[in-house]
Amino acid sequence: MVREKETTLYLGPQHPGITGNMMIKLKVTGDTVVRAETHVGYLHRAFEKLIERRNWLQTFTILCRFCVPEPDPMELTYARAVEELENREVPERAEYIRTIVMELARLQSFMLWYAGQSGSAGLYLTGQWSVGDRNYILDLFEELTGGRIYHMYIWPGGVRRDLPKGWKDKALKTMDYIEKRLDEYNKIMFDNTIFQKRAQGVGIVPKDKAIEWGVVGAPLRGTGIKHDVRIDEPYCAYDKLDFIVPTQEGGDVWARALVRQEEARQSINIIRQALEKMPEGEFYNKVPNPMKWTVPAGEAWTKTESVRGEVGFYVVSDGSNKPRRVHVKGAAYTNGITVLEKILPGQNIADVSFILNSMGVCPPEMER
Amino acid sequence: MEKENKILEAIKVAFNVEGHIAREKRVMITANKDIVSSILLFCKNQQGYIHLNHMSVVDRIEDGKFELNYIIWSPTEKVTIMLKTFIDRENAEMENIDSIWDQANTYEREMREMYGIQFPGLIGRQDFALEDWDEMPPMRRDFDTHAYAEKTFYQRPGREDAKDVREELTKQSGEVIPDFAKKYSRE
Amino acid sequence: MSFFDLKGMLQPLGAVKQLGKKPHTINYPFETKKTADRYRGLHYNDLQVCIGCGNCSTICQNDAIDMINIEGVEHSRGDSGLRPRVDNGRCCWCALCVEVCPTGSLNLTKDYIYVTPDANAFLWTPGVDNPEGKNDISFTSETEFSLSMYNRVPMRELEGSERVKSFAEVVLGYNEEEARAEAQRCISCGLCTNVCPDTMHIPEYINAIASGNDEDALRIIYDNNPFPEMCGKVCTRQCETVCALTHRGVENDPNDKGAVSIRWLKRYATETAPTAAKIKEILNPVIAEPNGKKVGIIGAGPSGLTAGYYLALRGFDVTIFEAKAKAGGMTVYGIPKYRFPMESVDKQVEYMESIGVKINYNTTVGKDITFEEMHTAFDAIFVGIGFQKAWTLGMENEEIQGSIPAVDFLDIINRGDKYDVGKKVAVFGGGNVAIDGARVSARLGAEVVILYRRRVEDMPADWEEIIGAQEEGVRIDPQTIPTKIIKGADGKVAGVEFLRAEMVADDKGGRPRPVAIEGSEEIFECDTVIGAIGQEADYSWLPESFKDKIEIKRGMMIVVNEFNQTGDPKVFAGGDAVNKTADAISAIADGYAAVKGISKLLLGHE
Repeated sequence: MVREKETTLYLGPQHPGITGNMMIKLKVTGDTVVRAETHVGYLHRAFEKLIERRNWLQTFTILCRFCVPEPDPMELTYARAVEELENREVPERAEYIRTIVMELARLQSFMLWYAGQSGSAGLYLTGQWSVGDRNYILDLFEELTGGRIYHMYIWPGGVRRDLPKGWKDKALKTMDYIEKRLDEYNKIMFDNTIFQKRAQGVGIVPKDKAIEWGVVGAPLRGTGIKHDVRIDEPYCAYDKLDFIVPTQEGGDVWARALVRQEEARQSINIIRQALEKMPEGEFYNKVPNPMKWTVPAGEAWTKTESVRGEVGFYVVSDGSNKPRRVHVKGAAYTNGITVLEKILPGQNIADVSFILNSMGVCPPEMER
Repeated sequence: MEKENKILEAIKVAFNVEGHIAREKRVMITANKDIVSSILLFCKNQQGYIHLNHMSVVDRIEDGKFELNYIIWSPTEKVTIMLKTFIDRENAEMENIDSIWDQANTYEREMREMYGIQFPGLIGRQDFALEDWDEMPPMRRDFDTHAYAEKTFYQRPGREDAKDVREELTKQSGEVIPDFAKKYSRE
Repeated sequence: MSFFDLKGMLQPLGAVKQLGKKPHTINYPFETKKTADRYRGLHYNDLQVCIGCGNCSTICQNDAIDMINIEGVEHSRGDSGLRPRVDNGRCCWCALCVEVCPTGSLNLTKDYIYVTPDANAFLWTPGVDNPEGKNDISFTSETEFSLSMYNRVPMRELEGSERVKSFAEVVLGYNEEEARAEAQRCISCGLCTNVCPDTMHIPEYINAIASGNDEDALRIIYDNNPFPEMCGKVCTRQCETVCALTHRGVENDPNDKGAVSIRWLKRYATETAPTAAKIKEILNPVIAEPNGKKVGIIGAGPSGLTAGYYLALRGFDVTIFEAKAKAGGMTVYGIPKYRFPMESVDKQVEYMESIGVKINYNTTVGKDITFEEMHTAFDAIFVGIGFQKAWTLGMENEEIQGSIPAVDFLDIINRGDKYDVGKKVAVFGGGNVAIDGARVSARLGAEVVILYRRRVEDMPADWEEIIGAQEEGVRIDPQTIPTKIIKGADGKVAGVEFLRAEMVADDKGGRPRPVAIEGSEEIFECDTVIGAIGQEADYSWLPESFKDKIEIKRGMMIVVNEFNQTGDPKVFAGGDAVNKTADAISAIADGYAAVKGISKLLLGHE
């Protein structure tokens, strides 16, 4: 057998697809990837180190920067960890508002995923539509939180502000609009032969290995395994709401895409329910003067389901006014490094960034 | 708490280690570093804790120790085990577990780089996120980020006229804050 | 499915139908997007409301906020004179600065577009560089959800009906949990230190309490105040009036205005040391080697004892001459024991004596020892005689039995002697001394009325003294001007005649004046009349020969320089006879200043 010549190809570090700055060193023969090695280090901002110099409240403003496309789960996971350490009660209304924010965050992130996933297959129109429509969700965020991308809204004890007047109706209207648009995206993306051809049978995550490999989120559910932090370990108001966690068989890009497509619809469903069921009342259980706020010594591990999968925060307090350690485990930390290195070999070069998008690779949360 | 008790008892019986249930779905175990990999294997192969959720390290500089945490999860029981062990900070070394879970490789590479913990037999590029780093491993508590930033970068000029409020007030009133009290002044 | 799957090929072409639709985008620059009502845009700071506490600068995790001097803003009472400047190149618009601003002066606006080719221009001062921002404010922090904590931890007290039964201390003090919670509210700005006559290190000791180091708190307090227990109980606490939290805390409580309870926290810190020996153990004071210089002090009041204590620490040989049987001055003889128990004073004095301060009790200067003798015997003299003599009312029948000045009345009661006030008591005045007289009378079982010339809100007494008195059944009759004490058939006081007054606005902009209403005479029948309209000093001990050097100005005040030195370089003075505020903390400050002056005079350094 003649051994074909291996060529080294560098994908990145400038935005391979639109997932962020990282580099993948590919060994290829012809068009086929033989080995893939991930290289991060182009986005390291030492956030975890910086947090050790900041007090418990200052920390919360950094967190959103762990992952640009979906900053809110970071805030929530941290807030819940601190609340667990402190045994701090969160008002029920805040729990509902948090649920809504979480699902809006997921929804807007799905819209970005639509853009990335279809864009990396050469279907740019879906992306233009979805990113445009995403702005309607950002408008909702702007009115609710005062910011469009980085909301810095969920903090320990609840949320920063109550819903503004008329926000509920506006949110419901936006949901109706988005729901209608999702059908239109389907026509140009999921019904499109080009997309089907590109997605089916590509980037397969084997079902029997998925959990052991540490696969989380949509890629896991795409293999037919039904795990979702929202039902495994319910937080916020999720245990009071009805929703479906979709799964698909196959474990390929297509299966993951179908899971996400349905999850986006479920997000709309959850937002509608939460808006209806939300009780009146307090939205914030005030923390003490932030400069002198100390949290009892201890450790907490909290998890949240983001679009990319499970986001975990390991928070340790030594009883002082600053966290001892805040260690963030983003979904991409496994999905985007070891799992990716395992599923890329054998794939076509052209599919690499396509697979990156479907795995939810997010470099800023990998190296933090 | 039935599931939590079950796994806690199973580990206690098998390894004679300390442990408690921190809350629903959280079992905390503290073990000697030598038996960490055995416990992990036991949990993975016999108890169904097949998912490595997280690995973390906390620098307990005041005790001269690193605190390593292994967080594993069972998809059937939906229970999380947090296994903790302490290793010496000096010449820190810990058993490599990437043969149990491949993804541990990433965590261990990061720990090696950020804390200087060695994992014998760890394969993978020497650097993870840092490139050409020749200072002390930066996540160690004794690495002063602020001093490093001051040394490495320069402040943009134009802000030298900034005043410290407390200092300015003492100038106005003639107050002399004794040195031993200064640690309580505003940061 | 193959590439020639017709549906899969045609379906996407349906997108063409979007062609005729109206675009979603805004037609910029003809239209601009309306920002949300709580948009977090650029900063705006109301310079008039801002007090320069620097809390914004402290919370900023990006180091984007500097506190700087700006033109047109001077430091004043409760205002550091500094204002925040924001480096918009660093700001991340998290708005934590807004959330922690105690006054609510700092807000974010709807403005978010800032374009300039000059990188340095990103450094600008909100409110100065964008005055128009005032009309554009969006992200604000209401008092309700501000991160400043405007509600004081309430102090536990005895019930009013319980109090009048005895002279037991009314205020019960914070327990540990309450003290930590209260100390946590402090934002450590230090504005309070600037109005404290003694410039105590307030943020530092409060922070020590907040972090659980009570002994450190005590050490910090003793740095320049040897009477913390007294200040912790009865200080006039100017500090609390300028607390950064009062600006909005007043919405929640018009009395304490939400100020950090600095006085009660100091009191809490002193409770760490229940005995003189414990104080000594905690402070572990370093006493300098004797330097051979002798200092004589007249009066063991707060100023004299303070001077004595710090001089003794510096190795001086200190002797205090006290006319009365106990040290403490007005704080012992003038303040009722339900506010300041005798044990508290004794503990403090015992500690001072243990570090070498000598006190000669029952020794009156001018009688038992002359001033001239002192002047020769000592290298320096400190005069802390206080205001002992009450002002006379200048009223008919003032001298008859049943009419007594408040200071004398309090002196008798505090000595433990008896004074029969009868069934009804009238008190003249609106200061703390008047209230003390009233509340003591109430404890002696009398029905008490305070006659005050102005309105209740004009009373110079502490608000809690006024409320405390009312709770104990004391009636305050404001806008009343006593004119005559009525003598009864037995030659004792039988009542007091007074006129009602109306408040007339002052033309010169001062506070409104009471003007008697013609023909509004009323009579209040009573057994005792207590006058509390002010005191003055008694200088009968001062020989004529010194009066040309030691200048005594109008109001019987001794003239001193910054080191509390009088015209005679050897003689220093402090306390009520020197400062206008006439409270204990000013006396302590005087004593401390004189220590520096005496050190400079005798040792050549402060």
